[in-house]
Amino acid sequence: MGLLNVFQRVSQTPTNPHPTAAARGFDVADLYRGPVSTTLESTDAGAPPLDEKLRQAYFWVVNTAIISPHYDVEYNDGPPQSFILGDSKSRLTLPSAQSYSSFVLLPLLTFAARRKCLFVGGPGRGKTASAILMGVLAGASVREVRRAMQHGHPQMTIADLLGNPLPADLVSAQRLEDIRISWRQWLGLRVKIIDEYNRIPTRTQSALLTVMGDNYAEILNHIFECPESAWFLTANDDQGGGTYPVIEALRDRIDVVVQALAFNPRFLADLLARIEENVRPEEVVPRQIIFTETEVDRMQNEIRNVTLPDEVRRRLEFFTSQFEFCEVAGDQFEYKTKDTARLAGIEWHTLAAQETGRDRLKDLGCQTKNGLSVRVLMTLLIYAKALAYFRGNRVVELEDVRQILPFVLHDKLAPDIEAPFFDAPGHAVFRADRVGWLRKVFDLACADYDRLNLDRDDPVSAFGEEFRRGLDGLSDNETRARLVKIERLITEWSKGRKLYGHLYDDLLKLKYLHQRYTNYLRWLKTQ
Amino acid sequence: MTLSPGFASVLSSGRADFNARFVAARRVYADLDADAFAAFLQSGVDELARAVEAVRADRLANVTQAAYDAALELAGQKLAGPGSRVASVEEAWRRVLPKAAHLVATAPARLIAAVCNAAHQLATTPGARPAQWVEAMAGIAPQCAEVEPFLQVGQVAAWRAGLAHFREGALAVGDLLPETLALAAVNAKPGLRWAEVRQRLLACPWFDPASDSETPAAPRIVAQAGAFRGFGGLFVEPPTVAATGRHFLARSGEECWLLTADAFGSTFHRATIGEFEAASRESRMPDGLQVNGSRVVVDGARFEVPAFGEFTSAAANSTTLAVTSRFTHSVVLVALK
Repeated sequence: MGLLNVFQRVSQTPTNPHPTAAARGFDVADLYRGPVSTTLESTDAGAPPLDEKLRQAYFWVVNTAIISPHYDVEYNDGPPQSFILGDSKSRLTLPSAQSYSSFVLLPLLTFAARRKCLFVGGPGRGKTASAILMGVLAGASVREVRRAMQHGHPQMTIADLLGNPLPADLVSAQRLEDIRISWRQWLGLRVKIIDEYNRIPTRTQSALLTVMGDNYAEILNHIFECPESAWFLTANDDQGGGTYPVIEALRDRIDVVVQALAFNPRFLADLLARIEENVRPEEVVPRQIIFTETEVDRMQNEIRNVTLPDEVRRRLEFFTSQFEFCEVAGDQFEYKTKDTARLAGIEWHTLAAQETGRDRLKDLGCQTKNGLSVRVLMTLLIYAKALAYFRGNRVVELEDVRQILPFVLHDKLAPDIEAPFFDAPGHAVFRADRVGWLRKVFDLACADYDRLNLDRDDPVSAFGEEFRRGLDGLSDNETRARLVKIERLITEWSKGRKLYGHLYDDLLKLKYLHQRYTNYLRWLKTQ
Repeated sequence: MTLSPGFASVLSSGRADFNARFVAARRVYADLDADAFAAFLQSGVDELARAVEAVRADRLANVTQAAYDAALELAGQKLAGPGSRVASVEEAWRRVLPKAAHLVATAPARLIAAVCNAAHQLATTPGARPAQWVEAMAGIAPQCAEVEPFLQVGQVAAWRAGLAHFREGALAVGDLLPETLALAAVNAKPGLRWAEVRQRLLACPWFDPASDSETPAAPRIVAQAGAFRGFGGLFVEPPTVAATGRHFLARSGEECWLLTADAFGSTFHRATIGEFEAASRESRMPDGLQVNGSRVVVDGARFEVPAFGEFTSAAANSTTLAVTSRFTHSVVLVALK
């Protein structure tokens, strides 16, 4: 076997054997498909399922392209072996199930779901190389990917980024529409790479924001519609060390942040072999793991079809509910949010000082300065589905959400590092370790969820389910009975209970249901 | 169950689009059940597709598109497929639409919607008889050569199936229909002419053209309309009535309804207290009719309403007397002709 073949070896056996998952979504083909395949149906026969292909790509990158992977996305199917080491009682866990390296996994999920990933970490840690690999997986040659990659620099203009009007047209054109634009080629690619994006000047960042957010570029009233694509951005230091501060809206468009961890010198021999053999992994990507455009389209659909069970969704709702509520931010119930205070420009610590009555150590909402946006939640749901899909499942598990959540919320949930939580014994480390902190907060939210027994006793969910069945045919009496039930529950909750984020959201949901029933009752009276 | 080859072929050629429509519908109808929808496609929609393919194979694709969308709406609202809330809608789809396949092929979306909506309207109107409408339409549909007469016949048949408020409209469209269709729509006895039937229908709301016997002697009790709310009716307390033109207004507590009634059924429609009070003030008994206590005298002849007690209200027009009592949550209607 030649050396090149060693580098091009792809797992032949299933990378994560699973019983074949039954298709969940509705497909009209199920109505007419039979044992005899038709020409339309047989085009993909023999090819591995796309989730298997994605795992093959992952394992090729982990085993061949990356020299020292870190298995920081841990899964267990039984009690893991764990060891306590050092004075600070550091815990090392040996996972009992297939675990993954976030530095490879997150970019691959981004590629599969066509989202936006930011690599952060010091120089020379493989951020750009990983981004290039993703471009090659999408079917472009290394040369094309390199040429299309945008390198941020302090003099970068909008024309550098998007393209130029043709000089001859600029002179001769009588109308703007007559000026032809020479668009930059990278705009049309399915994988877009922006190297060192925090070195781009602010004005050019705004142009980049339009492309990233709205998927089109504009010069002189001419529009270039970009195809749906995966984005990879890199930054040496995302905490303000770039040449220009990154505009908030641009930062908000980034879906996941993944950190390039340090190189383990124990793998130096592998690095040496690579130098001596002069092999660049991006140049020897096996053909079997390169995805066509149609395959990525299909993969996106399959990811969307992964189910997120109600029990998992409820825990995510409960977790999310913790953060936005701020009792002293507003007078009207609906405006008691951190966002109200932020929009008013009130300093966070002024608000924090006014908080009374609640246990600030236990209240998870006290650990953050903001809540979660709809965009972030959508991203979280998509990545949780993508991770489940990658693992060969068609149903998201709670552990998928737990594992993916820190990477999605990395830049989105701002910690209040002066909160009592961070002063508690053993918690000081979370001031620096954002991933560890987010996972801890999620674990604490789940523990609280269990303590409140919400899996079994959740009246708001029950009311919601009752309402979801529809109002069609609901009698006057039944509607009134439901209104009374809602009012009774709120009365019960108002008896001496302190107001926490999850209760606040539950109360708003009850108000919503009450209003819907009230309106329905009013309509019913006119019938 | 195997799909008909034509239907399967249309589904196969537009598979991505059909699947996308299902996904879009699921956004609107969170409870849209894929299995129930698939079952309905295999039964009701396939049956219609077979019928259309037999008469107008060139229109099968259009019919399938329209039928698929309508089926999505119905399944999303749990009006079709296993576990349907209103069996009549699916019944109408399966029995009426295939019989009207030649018309469905011409205007699929319009006809499918009209048939399903009519069945739903009948099924959700208290006292109406959707099964009778389905039976009538399945019988008449093959006789309709065009879409418009079919829809008009549907209106007349709906009136006959209990939607009394369709009366004027149905008589008007009856004039537009070919005589055989008009007579078939009202299920008239053989040998009758439309002009004669129409004349008698106009003269007396209690005349039924299908009845073998001559109009029975009046006065006689012809209907009891309404019921206690606790038993699924409208009235929280025994109602009182007032006459308004050819109809009546009924009041129970602080709520009022317009009551339309004839030989085919009775329906209630929300009205205001103001309308009721105005009608009460203007209510007059026709000449020759006297109502006193629990006694009705029509042209000198006494008439009893058994076990009814003293009337709490009475109102009449030239053809009908409506009386109420504290012993019942219904309005008793007495034919005067």
